[in-house]
This record gives sequence, C-alpha cells and structure tokens, in this order.
Amino acid sequence: MIVLSERIEQVLVEIVGADRVTSKDFDLIPYSRDLSPAKQKFPRFVVMPTNKEEIQEILKAANQHEFPVYVRGGGTSHWDAYLCQEPGVLLDLSLMNKIIEINKRDLTATVQPNCTWSKLDRELQKHGLTYLCSEAGGPAMTIGGSVMKAGGGPHSTAKFGLHGNQDIITLEIVLPNGDIVETGSAAWPSAGKFKRQCLGPDLAGLFIGSEGILGVCTELTLRIRPVSSKKIRMVAIVDSLDKVIEFGHFINRHVGDEYLQGSYFWVDPTAPDVFILMMDLFGYEDEILEFRKKRIIEKISELGGKLEDPTPANDYYDRVLTGLTDIFATGVWHFFGSGSLRIDDIPFLYKVWLEEIIEKRGMKTVGLGGQILPRDWLAFMVTNYQEPSEWEQIIEIADEINEIVLNGPVVPYGIGGRDGLRNIVAKHNTGYYCLLKSIKKMLDPKNILQRGIFIPEEDL
Amino acid sequence: MQIEKYTDMIYACGRCNFCKGQEFNERCPEVFTQFWESSTARGRMAIARGILEGTLKYTDELAERIYGCFLCARCKEECKKAANIDIIAITKAMRQDFVEQGVRIPETSEQMVDSMESSGNIFSDTPAVHNKWSVGLEFKKESGILFYPGCLASHRFKEKTRILVKVLQSAGYDLDFLEEDQVCCGTPLWISGYMNKARNWVERIMQLFEEHRVKEIITPCPSCYRAFIEEYPKILGIEELPIKVRHSSEVLERIVLEKKLNLKHSVDMTMTYHDPCEIGRYRGIYEQPRNVLRGISGLKLVEMERNQENSFCCGGGGGVKLAYPDYSLKVSVERIKEAISTGAKAITTVCPACELNLTHAVYEEDLMVRVLDIAEVLAVAAGIEDEEILEPDYFADD
Repeated sequence: MIVLSERIEQVLVEIVGADRVTSKDFDLIPYSRDLSPAKQKFPRFVVMPTNKEEIQEILKAANQHEFPVYVRGGGTSHWDAYLCQEPGVLLDLSLMNKIIEINKRDLTATVQPNCTWSKLDRELQKHGLTYLCSEAGGPAMTIGGSVMKAGGGPHSTAKFGLHGNQDIITLEIVLPNGDIVETGSAAWPSAGKFKRQCLGPDLAGLFIGSEGILGVCTELTLRIRPVSSKKIRMVAIVDSLDKVIEFGHFINRHVGDEYLQGSYFWVDPTAPDVFILMMDLFGYEDEILEFRKKRIIEKISELGGKLEDPTPANDYYDRVLTGLTDIFATGVWHFFGSGSLRIDDIPFLYKVWLEEIIEKRGMKTVGLGGQILPRDWLAFMVTNYQEPSEWEQIIEIADEINEIVLNGPVVPYGIGGRDGLRNIVAKHNTGYYCLLKSIKKMLDPKNILQRGIFIPEEDL
Repeated sequence: MQIEKYTDMIYACGRCNFCKGQEFNERCPEVFTQFWESSTARGRMAIARGILEGTLKYTDELAERIYGCFLCARCKEECKKAANIDIIAITKAMRQDFVEQGVRIPETSEQMVDSMESSGNIFSDTPAVHNKWSVGLEFKKESGILFYPGCLASHRFKEKTRILVKVLQSAGYDLDFLEEDQVCCGTPLWISGYMNKARNWVERIMQLFEEHRVKEIITPCPSCYRAFIEEYPKILGIEELPIKVRHSSEVLERIVLEKKLNLKHSVDMTMTYHDPCEIGRYRGIYEQPRNVLRGISGLKLVEMERNQENSFCCGGGGGVKLAYPDYSLKVSVERIKEAISTGAKAITTVCPACELNLTHAVYEEDLMVRVLDIAEVLAVAAGIEDEEILEPDYFADD
C-alpha cells in the first residue's frame, strides 16, 4: 500500500510538479469537511491542477493505477457531494478560476469552473451585464460546483428556473478515461459556444446535476443578459399556506413574463402560522416594473395579506453575491428535507415540518423555506446547530425527515455520498437510476471518478 | 492548550469560505503566498479543530502555515458577516501552543525575541545607534507626553521619525523621550507566542513610564499603539492603562483640524493612502489620516480599490517579514502595484512597518515613487521641511 502510495505521489508530481501536490496532514484536514454535517473524509493527496490537460493526465493515471479521484470546487456542498468517500486523490480546482471570455454581442460568458458567481458578476457589471446568479452562497460558490449540482437559490430562479433552465450553454468535460468532450454548439469545432440544444441530444444536461460522477467540468459557457438598475423588493405576510400556493400560481401564470425574479418563502419555527414572502421584482423599464408591483400589491390584498417593510428583502437580495450576514451566529448549518415539488404540494412539506419538527420534537430552531420556481418549488428545512454537541441529534432527525419527505411528492435535490441521500435514491432503484448506473459504468468502468458519490460502489 | 479557550469559536466555523475571496490575491496574503486551503481562515479552523480533537499535532512543518499568517485580520473582517470568529486570537493562541510545547518555530521569530530581550530592540542596536534619529532634537523631561517611536521608526526611518517629532513640537506638543531607556514595547512576544515572557516585559515598561511620569503616549507605530491599548491591559489584568495613548495620525488630525500649524504651502501632488491593518481594521482609524491629507491644499487624494476595512496587507504583518521574507515581498509588490495603478505619485501611510515593506516593493519593482508618512507631507505643507523630500528621487540619509 505504501509503495502504491509513493508511486501515485510520483505520478502526480510528474504531472503537476511537486509544489502542487500535498499529502501533509494539516493540508488534508481542511478538505475533510464541507458545509454539511457529513462525517470527516480525508483525501490521500490533494492536487491543484491548472488546466484540462493536467486533469486528463491525472485521470489516465488513475485508470492505470486504479486510484479514485475526487473533485472539489469551493468546498461548500451541503450534502457530502464532493468529499472523498475513499482516501483518493482530490483535485482542488482553485487555480482554475479564470473568466475566459465575455462575449457582449452573443451575450455569453465563458469561465473556468472555479470562477465564483461573485467574481463573474463583478466583471459582467462593468459591461452592464449580469448572469443573475441564484446562489445565496455567491461569494464562495464556484460556477462549476454550482452547475454540477444543478444549483438554484433565492435569486432569479422565480423567473429563470434552476440555473436559468437553459442558461448553461456549453460545457467542456474531461471524461473519466481522460477524453475531452464539449457539448452543445461547442461540439462542432468550426462553430462556437452559443447554443445548448443542437446537433443531437442535450449532453450538457447529462452532466448538469451529476455531481461530477461522469466527468470533470473544466469550462462552462453561460448565457448572460443586460443588467437592470431598476430595483423593487417587497415583503408580504399571508395567513395561510393556501394563499402562498395561490400566490405561487399567480406569479407563474405569465410564463415567459414572470413578475418576479426571486421569491423566497419562509416560515419561522417560532410563528408557524405566519407565512412570509420576500420578493425581488423583475423588469428593465420603470413602467413595466411599476405595473408588476401594482399587480402584486393587488394580489396580496386580494389574498388578505399584508405588505411589510421591504428592508429585509433588500438586505437579503443585495447580499446574495456579497455574503449573507450572521449566517452562523447561532451555530453552523444543516439543510434537510429538501427537494423539488409541485406548487400545490407544499402543504405536504409544511405538514411534515409542523408535525415532526415543531409539534413532535418541539424544535424551535428549524425553519421551513423555499423558492418559487416556474411551476414548482425548491423547498427545504434548515437549522443552525452547535457542533459537536448537537451533531448526532441533528443527523438522526435529518435522516428520519429525509425518509418521510422523499417517500412523498418530493424529488431529492443534492444526492451526495454516504452521508447524503444516495442510499435513499439507490433504494428507490428507479429506471432513471438504472440508466444513470449504466451510463456511469460505460464512461467510468473502473469507477475512478467521484467513487461513492451519488451511486454506492456496490451498486456498480 | 491555549486554543482550548477558543473551542466554541473554532467549532462555529460554518466552512462558508467567505474568508478566502474570489482571487488568491484578493483578501488573504497567506493564501496568496501559500495557496493551500490550510492557509485560509477556514483551513486554520479545521486545523485547530483537528488539534483540539487529537487528530493533528503541532509540528515543525505546520509552523509555516501558522507563522506564515500576516495577522492582517482581513479574514476576521469577512467573518463578521458569518460566524464572527476571532481568527487572530486563535492564531496567536496556536503560536503560543507551539512555543509552550517546544515545537520548532521559524528561527527568525526566536531571534527577534532574543534580540529584544538582550538589546532592548529587535535590531540589536546599541542605544546610541537606536536613538540616533533624536540627535539635535530637544525633549522636555517629564512633560507627561511621551513620544514612543518603537523599534522600526527608531532604527529604519530616522528622518521620518525626526520630521514627525518636529511637526508635533511645532504644533506645540512638549514631548518627552525615554532616550537610553527606550526599549521595544514587547509586540514580538505576543506575535511569536512567547506569552510566558510578556508579563515581566510589560511590568518593566510600565515601571519606566512611572519613572518618567508619563500621562500620555504618542506613537507612530501601530504595533506599539495596540500593545498599550490592547495587550498591556490584558496582560496586567486591568481594564485600561492609566495612560492616554494616541497614534500619531490621531494627533496630526487634531493639528490640522484645530489649525495648530499654518499649512501655507500647497502640495500639488496626487497621493494615495494605504491603510495599515493594525490601526485600520484593528482600531478603526480610517478617516484621521485621510483628514490630514485632505487638509493640505493642492493635494489630490485618490483611493486604491481595496481600502479601509477591505485594505490589502503591506506584507509586513505577523512577523512574516522576518520569518518568510519572500512571502512578505510578494505581498508588498502586490500592494504597491495597486497603489501605482491609482495614478498616485506618492504612497502615504502611517505605519513604519508598512513604510518599510512598501519601500522594499518600490525597490523591487524599480519604481519612481516615494512611500511617505503623512507627517512628512504635513511638514512640507507647514514649511517645516523642503518639498524635495516628496520627490521620487529623494533619498534620505538613513
């Protein structure tokens, strides 16, 4: 084993140089956790590649010497999706964080995977452009990590969906065997990076949300849009969940012209009958924006809701890319019971939360939140908790709630490793899952890449 | 272990990575120079947690990550948004653990403390050499207002220090000076982890202050300033020193605002101002030095993109200048490039360590620009010094 380890280190050093390979215990430990309460998992080596060719060589060597390779972006996964399930080689992509091109004519931006949303947006704003990032972890959230988990968040998703639905145009991927492929129009070398769905099947969609198990993303081209300096934020309170649902349908009615770019729903555990809606209105022209505001006010009034001081919404949406405040003031985070569900199905999640969390367990720290997307919700339960004293209890509760929720009308979001949802997904053994396993086996017969993530090793 | 005191904070790290920033050169000078995750605040909290849980040990190799921290507090500033962890206190506690456990630390850190103990200053100067800057100046014994230059201002920047004293005296301050008794404030002890020696040293200095009937201290050195305001009371177990302590920038601001000097000369130059971490982020002194510059006619003050609480370190903090000079230089070059990009013809600041590092970066990059203390600019405006001292090709005797 030691001999093999030395050989692996030698190979890695030959590929990237000694200064970008480490196996020192104090260098490894920061990579042993993510944002979730997943158990510590250590890499054997951490490597910092700077380009796709180095990644290609590492994957080829991994196949030759049969060592697992894991990928890490910003290290902010909420569900054990990028931790080394086995002590393998971890690719820290931090040095691959460049903005390669901003194409103002085609409205596209091409970036390396570890460019953060915040960095891209800062650069785009200089040109009067934006992506309208949806991720609340914007300052640290890398674009590659975010897209590989099919991210979403409180901002822009009400209008555009998770990652703007079709806003990810092309991807460059190093496959587990070291081959490099491009998707969409980029697959046709004499064309360019401008279109997602062309040539044939949408292969970008195969990789988006795959949590890196099918390939290492080394470049992304995104659709961008002109920035709007117009800003209207609103906060409303309604007194029943039915009214929240009505409101959800209302803002989704005008498909292609959704009134809001962000709509965040929150129920605080201390007031389970108060339903808070934070809204970020969308529009390029004052006239349009004012019209939308008027219609929303009318709708809230019709629902018997109350408009509140918009300061919390301003603060919240303004900080999506600069950092939300006091996020760990009362402990570290855990998201659970989360997933996608129909607008009409939110009462199911609410009922689980109310009965299992608030009434049965009397937990006054777990809130229920979600974002309205076009035609659906991305909803979750979230709590702050104290590590290490409350860790075990939180894990236990989260596991129980996940089981209940995912047996209902909720599609799991964020699968991850053995401390994530992968075992629940495997147990359901759907046709989709079987197909995914077949694709994984075909692309990665030795199960080199992200071994144990999404699909348990024994399932392959 | 000293870090046990900070257990709650160490566990409070939510691993959000706000501390690192978008680019390696954006916020943290350590991750800019050492680039591994273990160099970020998030990484350091993981290391500290590992040590608390017994899965990691302090080792010679780890010293580079812990003593390679510039203690600039940029991460601490960012963490205010998230978990409000006092990363600096934890880093200093880790350094103390190194020393107390007998684990090897950078040789130069030990040497700095040895020099301080044996000669009274970090440069091992004799008192005559160390205080050469004061030759020709007159001080008023037991005036109650002590001018306390600190090691760097005494040793490296004799002319700058002399000019500052002349400005203060011209504005009517009757300054006392410790002369042969002038010694280091003790900062090397707490930044290197030698807290076991701190109390004796502090008591010795306090004794000196008593003998000289000191009621107020004016110092140009942010480390000395923070030593008297933050460290001494902590070490002595008191709320605050029975002595008023002011940084020179605060005094110079009063001089300008209260028109204690006739600023009759226009200084027609574009200048930028570098916020020293130790009085900026640590003490919130942002506007005082800027007000001095704003009070000078003709002077155009332009800001660097990273300023005030977002300011980037000069490369001189945390003892890194001595322990890892290459890292220090890399950071100072990064900062000087940012300063030059503003179009400024001179870089001003109010910290001898920043002045030293940025000056080294000027040499390294072969730039035609001077790094000035704001007192020098004020001295020219007040007609105390000739304007040639602002010129890029001016070379002070020291």
